[in-house]
Amino acid sequence: MVMIAGAALLYLTIKKVIYKQVDDSLRTEKAIIADQLKQTDSIPDFEATFGHQIGVKLLNYHVINYQSIKDTDIYDAVSDSFIPFRYIYAKGNTVEKKGYVITIYQAINEKNELLKDISLYLFFLFSSLLLISILINYLISKNLWKPFYDSVRIAGRFNIQSDKPLDLPETDIVEFNQLNEVFDSMTRKMRDDYLNLKEFSENASHEIQTPLAVIQSKTDLLMQQKGLNRESINLVRSINEATARLYKLNQGLLLISKIENQVFHEKKKISLKQIVETGLNNYREITQLKNIKVEMEADNDAYTEMNEVLAEVLISNLLSNAVRFNIDGGFIKCHIDNKFLTLTNTGSPITTKPEDLFRRFHKNSENPQSVGLGLSIVKKITDSYGMIITYNYHDTIHELKLMYHQ
Amino acid sequence: MFYTGDVKLLIVEDDRSLSRSINDYLRLEGHICEIALTYNDATQKASVNKYDCIILDIGLPDGNGLDLIREMKANKLTGGILILSAKSSLDDKLVGLKIGADDYLTKPFHFAELSARLNSIFRRNNFLGLNEITFNEIRINTEDNQVYVNDKLLVLTKKEYDLLLFFMANRNRIITKESIVEHLWGDNVILTDSFDFVYTHVKNLRKKIVAAEGRNYIKCIYGFGYKFNEN
Repeated sequence: MVMIAGAALLYLTIKKVIYKQVDDSLRTEKAIIADQLKQTDSIPDFEATFGHQIGVKLLNYHVINYQSIKDTDIYDAVSDSFIPFRYIYAKGNTVEKKGYVITIYQAINEKNELLKDISLYLFFLFSSLLLISILINYLISKNLWKPFYDSVRIAGRFNIQSDKPLDLPETDIVEFNQLNEVFDSMTRKMRDDYLNLKEFSENASHEIQTPLAVIQSKTDLLMQQKGLNRESINLVRSINEATARLYKLNQGLLLISKIENQVFHEKKKISLKQIVETGLNNYREITQLKNIKVEMEADNDAYTEMNEVLAEVLISNLLSNAVRFNIDGGFIKCHIDNKFLTLTNTGSPITTKPEDLFRRFHKNSENPQSVGLGLSIVKKITDSYGMIITYNYHDTIHELKLMYHQ
Repeated sequence: MFYTGDVKLLIVEDDRSLSRSINDYLRLEGHICEIALTYNDATQKASVNKYDCIILDIGLPDGNGLDLIREMKANKLTGGILILSAKSSLDDKLVGLKIGADDYLTKPFHFAELSARLNSIFRRNNFLGLNEITFNEIRINTEDNQVYVNDKLLVLTKKEYDLLLFFMANRNRIITKESIVEHLWGDNVILTDSFDFVYTHVKNLRKKIVAAEGRNYIKCIYGFGYKFNEN
């Protein structure tokens, strides 16, 4: 913008200067001719300088003094084009009170060309200056800011769960070093906090096990005592149930925290067909007792890369749901192709929104015994492998669809 | 217990309350028990006395239980080792079993399960030279997993056989349905109506024994579960 405005201003200034010069020379010439006219009362001899056309006319009457300078185009037969001229038109009177008219034309096409040349030249000069300055600026900033961009790139890749701290490279620039130090200490603190928290939740889960074992052992002993009345038996049984729940809860949370801490990082090729078949086998007794019909349809080459333990937990949790919430005489259908694992089963209608099912501690009102971690563990596992799991139901038919990566 | 003669056990567990509970329970079963609360205490006791089995907690205040196993094996001390751990991590379990422990039990546990595991260790280590359990008219050969009632072969499913052994290891004790579920299916199978299956299996086992003219030993105990009653 500035460049364009500057160029325009420059063009106008140069044009003005040229015009002023032309006008001045026209005026001077006119003044000389007028002077001669006054002195001699006759048309003076004059040589038409190049590009000048002078016309002088003497009149027999008195005229009012007048002078104007204007632009005009005159047809030139040689070049078959109109050529721009500047001309002066002046009227005046001699000593003997006779009027005269002077017109002097001066071609300004050369001047215009000069103007054009100067403009063009200046334009190129400015453009190249601009380009060079941009280039220099770019090169300088590239080198100067390189450590900065390096730091930004490294910091952008920072993962709190990674086992390495953020190590930003040393630079020659003091300010960047300061910035890197702040970055380093900040992320170090974040990592420390995270590791502490991680350690705490794992430790807490482990430490809870021993008191739980104490409670369990005491109720076991209490149970063996003779002469317990009905009331005491019910109390002991309640304690037992609560302990079992607490244990399951703790196990579930421990598992989730282990998945989050990527304890199960070893991967191998898992045959989905095989793992589902094993899972179904574990539940066969129950499905038989509940008269649940089990159907399985699977591609033999349906494989996915994941941790074996997590794959087992995933499938076991899904099947457990399909079995637990099934109805007597219902069915479980499992279909595996090279993209989806679909589990369809009968069951009583549910009232909750499908997306709520995967939330931690979501509980089915019909089943107060459940801890409410099963499907959130499923979600944790599928999330950690970038799989997508969706839940749909229609009346009594429930469908879980797992999109996995081959 | 179905072993005559005294079984001597060492309980290595730093939690006083828990070690006393284990002690109390195993004494009820007729075992002789000693308690070690620290690693040092345990090494001393193990080097002086001969134990048939050591119940060992891995996380001790002054040492790692796994080192005690290594020390025992280095000193060629005999006797079974049952690891008791709060850590359900697979690594500890694998290492423990690899360096010579016989079994691994995660806290919290049912005493009925502890009894069953101990019995299985005694059997595997051929303690007292027994691979046959005899109880009145019932005889179980643990080598080829056969059960005889009045010398007639009893055909049992795998689960019924496991259940009978579980009862045998916990005679005259109340066993809860929860502990039976965990023993038969493990705690990976989360089942709300699993008690129905316990009931079915117990019913079938009882029916089969009675059909072979055995006595009905399995009593239902209100609120808790079952009891295999000698009387």
